Amino acid sequence: MKLRLNWTILATLLLLLLQTSVLPWLVPPGWSDRLLPHLPFLMTIFVALFGNRHRAFFFGLGFGLLEDILFYGQLIGAYGFTMALLGYLFGLIPERRSRTLGLTLGCVALGSAILDLAIFGIYELFQLVNVTFAFAVYWHMVPTLLISVLLALLLYIPVRRWLVKNIASSADENGA
Amino acid sequence: MRNKRLFILMIGVILVVSLLGYTFGRQKMTWPEKFINDAFGTLQGALYRPVGAVADFFRDLSRLSDVYKENEELRQTVARYTEDKIRYNLIEKQNEYLQEALNFTERQKELYNNYRYLIAQVVANSSNPYDPTIKINLGSHDGIKEKMAVTTVDGLVGLVSRVSEFTSTVTPITEMSATSTDSISIAATVFGREDEAFGIVDFDKEKNVLQMSKIDENDVVKEGDIIITSGSGNVLPKGLIIGTVVSSQVGDFGLTQTAQVEPAAKFDHLNDVFVVVTPDVDAP
Repeated sequence: MKLRLNWTILATLLLLLLQTSVLPWLVPPGWSDRLLPHLPFLMTIFVALFGNRHRAFFFGLGFGLLEDILFYGQLIGAYGFTMALLGYLFGLIPERRSRTLGLTLGCVALGSAILDLAIFGIYELFQLVNVTFAFAVYWHMVPTLLISVLLALLLYIPVRRWLVKNIASSADENGA
Repeated sequence: MRNKRLFILMIGVILVVSLLGYTFGRQKMTWPEKFINDAFGTLQGALYRPVGAVADFFRDLSRLSDVYKENEELRQTVARYTEDKIRYNLIEKQNEYLQEALNFTERQKELYNNYRYLIAQVVANSSNPYDPTIKINLGSHDGIKEKMAVTTVDGLVGLVSRVSEFTSTVTPITEMSATSTDSISIAATVFGREDEAFGIVDFDKEKNVLQMSKIDENDVVKEGDIIITSGSGNVLPKGLIIGTVVSSQVGDFGLTQTAQVEPAAKFDHLNDVFVVVTPDVDAP
């Protein structure tokens, strides 16, 4: 099982463009500050699960910083740091467990929650958050988590088909 | 092995905190950031507009029945507009004459007239919940500078926060919180009674309304009043619509009033916006 990293990077750049320029139109009015999916983050989780943790670390760092720079409002580095860290941590998982759809979705859900919490923490540290924690959880963290899982489900098949080599032999290698 | 990982993590944390601290509250961007922004801005623009057109088309289809009514209303608006235009021409002439008569200096005349509206297209939205910025396809090349006001036909959307060569970043007014360090306060007044009311507008995220605070207790601000920028302080141009008053009450210490304002502009599904260029009075 091997990830085609160059193609993955290209695909993620396209997904980033989609996320910033197309997805906002698909979100119904009134929900635009509640559903905030992060496609590069989802791809980082895929890289962590299907590639290895070092690649996922640099992948997360690169795309996190790219997002930070593209939408530089107050700080640069919050997404870069969190996505690199999560990429590395989730890269440790496939050494212990076999990769299944359920595991992937579970990782995405957990990762999305940790990402949002960490971002909240970092912005709270710099006193840039003007909502309470409970409100943030209710207002955008939970909806974002659900939409992330849904998008991961949509991306799972294309990623496995086009970006991962040797799908057939993967089950034997891992030994379930 | 464990120690090495922990060590790298510590170094990572230190690096990130210093990066965060360095970029926090910084105004200018370095050239790599500008380059990335411009490169992506072009591609984003190529996507955002066509998709927006398609989305608008489908939304319009579903509202086809309303179009007739809307058309009727627009006709009436145009009729009223023509009336107002005639009045406006008269008043402008008179105003010019009075300014002459009162010996306004060139600088004073420039100050409140001659706003230029540059039309810009939105190219992308951020998905960071605490930094919801918007990108537009005009930059320093087109004469955009920091802190210029950005409006739609409905009302004030935000301020330009960062400028690169061909794109710039707009911070919406919903992010102008009173606690934030580098945000500027919007001086506001009531449309039609500009000399009778004055307040500062910032945003209350949890109630999802703008707040106009520090209104004098003797000023009258009531429900339905239209709040506009007052132009005092010369940061924002004068007379941009901010929103409508939903309610007003006595403020924290009973000495001032606070009004809650519903923003006039819609912040999602933005397409065309205007950047208001004020004449640069301090330029030589």
